[in-house]
Amino acid sequence: MAAGFRVAVELTAALVVGGGIGYVLDQWLGTQPWLLILFFVIGAAAGFLTIYRTGQELDARARERREAQAAEQKAKTDRKGSDR
Amino acid sequence: MAASPIEQFEVYPLLPIQVGNLDLSFTNSSLWMVFAVALSTVILAISARGGALVPSRLQSVSEMMYELVANMVRDNVGSGGRKYFPFIFTLFVFVLFANLLGMIPHSFTVTSHLIVTFALAAVIFIGVTIIGFYRHGFGYLRMFFPHGAPLWTAVILVPVELVSYLSRPVSLSVRLFANMTVGHVLLKVIAGFVVSLGVFGIFPFVFLIALSALELFIAALQAYVFAILTCIYLHDALHMH
Repeated sequence: MAAGFRVAVELTAALVVGGGIGYVLDQWLGTQPWLLILFFVIGAAAGFLTIYRTGQELDARARERREAQAAEQKAKTDRKGSDR
Repeated sequence: MAASPIEQFEVYPLLPIQVGNLDLSFTNSSLWMVFAVALSTVILAISARGGALVPSRLQSVSEMMYELVANMVRDNVGSGGRKYFPFIFTLFVFVLFANLLGMIPHSFTVTSHLIVTFALAAVIFIGVTIIGFYRHGFGYLRMFFPHGAPLWTAVILVPVELVSYLSRPVSLSVRLFANMTVGHVLLKVIAGFVVSLGVFGIFPFVFLIALSALELFIAALQAYVFAILTCIYLHDALHMH
């Protein structure tokens, strides 16, 4: 649940920041609505990029944990084997 | 009638202070921040004083927090991260105590206000950016352009990376704020059902107990997530991607 929420917030934040930059630039340069549209798309791309990186990072962490567990399991069975 | 579920988030001045046009009043929010700082300082000071080989309960709590953050910094920041341990530890303990104190009925949850979490995130964001430029000079700008990509893709990639970088403080602060706000509103709404349903209020009451336990867990988890993301941002600044 924490991972899902994290990803959701990251996507929204990138969209809001992208849209916000576009809106402010539009107000400043008087080019409504083109920069808003452009930066909204950029924000969406940035959001997906962040999600992709988060996914990779969570994946790496899960793999690390799995490997640590497997190593522990192996050490345990080895010890049992030597006891006999 | 049940009390409004968002009444708990109201900020009101306890000690009005006006400097020029600035309203610097000491509010209930400030009070609970002071409580969080004072309580964590007292607990850590008391538990560090003994330094017993076989720790007391309080001492082992402090040692667990210390170890948690020490492992986090070592695993996520990598080399050169030790220097930033005090900052990350302070950050973690402050957010943790603010979240946990917010679970006391009738208290005020400091972290349920976006401006508080955004201020924390902004300090982290600016600090990390300064550290990045300090360590790598203008080479830190390579952060916004992946290594080995064809040069013409910079037109697309640089704005995308820039927005992605700028969205970090927003996502960092919104995550903590939204978790705390949603949880507390939900608690209050369910508590309202307990009162209004009379005898049958026992059902929402049982649910409320479970939900309170979940909220305690989330309070600790979000402090952890806040600290670990700070570590990841620091790692990016120190070692780049």
